[in-house]
Amino acid sequence: MTTERWNVIVDTRMCVRTGLCAASAPEHFELDENGQGHARSATLPASEEVLEVAESCPIEAIGIRGADTGERVFPPPGS
Amino acid sequence: MTTVDTVYWDPYDPALARDPYPLYARMREEAPLYYNDQHKFYAVSRHADVQRGLADWQTYSSSRGDILEIIQADIELPPGTLIFEDPPVHDIHRKLLARVFTPRRIATLEPRVRAYCRRALEPVTGAERFDLVEAVGAEMPMRVIGMLLGIPEADQPAIRDYTDETLGTDGGGKINHEDILSTDAFKDYIEWRKRHPSDDLMTELMTAEFEDENGVTRTLTDEEVLTYCSVVAGAGNETTGRLIGWFGALMARYPEARRELAADPTLIPNAIEEILRFEPTGPFTGRYVTKDVELYDRTVPAGSAVLFIQAAANRDPRRFDDPDRFDIHRVTQHMSFGVGAHYCLGAALARLEGRIAAEEILERFPGWDVDWDHAELAQTSTVRGWKTLPLVVEGVR
Repeated sequence: MTTERWNVIVDTRMCVRTGLCAASAPEHFELDENGQGHARSATLPASEEVLEVAESCPIEAIGIRGADTGERVFPPPGS
Repeated sequence: MTTVDTVYWDPYDPALARDPYPLYARMREEAPLYYNDQHKFYAVSRHADVQRGLADWQTYSSSRGDILEIIQADIELPPGTLIFEDPPVHDIHRKLLARVFTPRRIATLEPRVRAYCRRALEPVTGAERFDLVEAVGAEMPMRVIGMLLGIPEADQPAIRDYTDETLGTDGGGKINHEDILSTDAFKDYIEWRKRHPSDDLMTELMTAEFEDENGVTRTLTDEEVLTYCSVVAGAGNETTGRLIGWFGALMARYPEARRELAADPTLIPNAIEEILRFEPTGPFTGRYVTKDVELYDRTVPAGSAVLFIQAAANRDPRRFDDPDRFDIHRVTQHMSFGVGAHYCLGAALARLEGRIAAEEILERFPGWDVDWDHAELAQTSTVRGWKTLPLVVEGVR
């Protein structure tokens, strides 16, 4: 089991409030009063599920970095 | 005190197709909450109102559809028609498709999309005149959607003609709801696909396991798979084709922008966004009002139909500087793909197809004009764009 954690940031300038992140992973994401999504805590456990949420955002408004390393996880480096 | 709405907007009036924007401007200023007494619907046109409303599915529901005459027909809609659903069921169904339409998965299609575009342009290369809609707009999106769904190439035109006919309302008529809900076009394929699985969307939909709204883990029924395929085909063909038509028309009207793009194709993605803002192929979206709402000192009663006019919101001076100016350098967050739970699933695909078509057309034809006398603009109750757009190519003898 990995204990790695991720910083998951929703870019509010891009977010068009699809609500898909909170709908598909409600334990990790929630919507604010404007309907924009954000991570429920400062860091989230690294998981396929969180990665899939970021990948499925239709406008790629969700960015992931390693909490310790600061390395970019999504969008993948070099893209 | 009585006030009289002097503005009259009839979304079914074919005469409005050519230039609806002066009327939209009047609606934004004089009737930000508009009521049409003849067709019994409300409409909002300001950017802030359209944005707020489309994001608020609790108040403005999709459960009766997103097309005015379908909402008012009050008919039973089959499950899996995710355009016609609200969260949480909508999100369960959308998630199944979202995996296939992520920006990254769509980006991997680029070589195949470009090949379809080149093949479509081959017959007209060197021509001094051709119809852009016929050559590319009607051809390329059909091939791309057909490839995604796994429809054999020979059968793809028949599928396109079927869905276009369903959405077509020549002369400002209304859509027949029995047509739009028909899945006949795909019935033949599903049995065949079961025996011949492939890496296409239909196979993926038939095999994907998911937890449904009752907490049951299952795969989609045949009927649901058919509905999904019909939704994707209906949404992906004509809209994208019309985007390509608008590219051709706007580049003829604004030749300095066209020259800039031909000289520097890296500007094309932003230009596509501006084309989407300036001439959205889907000008408005309908919703069903679930509870009384106060808007501009009036009550919109529960049970009403309301149209959110994205084409008007895209030109709201409260949101965009000098909104009637076409500017390919503008940083634009238009409403053309919608907002909220129903944000266009195929947005990444439409952007990819628009960019590739622009690149390939500009490379072959650095300059053109349009034979406007023979161009034909059409507006149905869902889509607005060129049915025929004859290009006259510069520099061909």
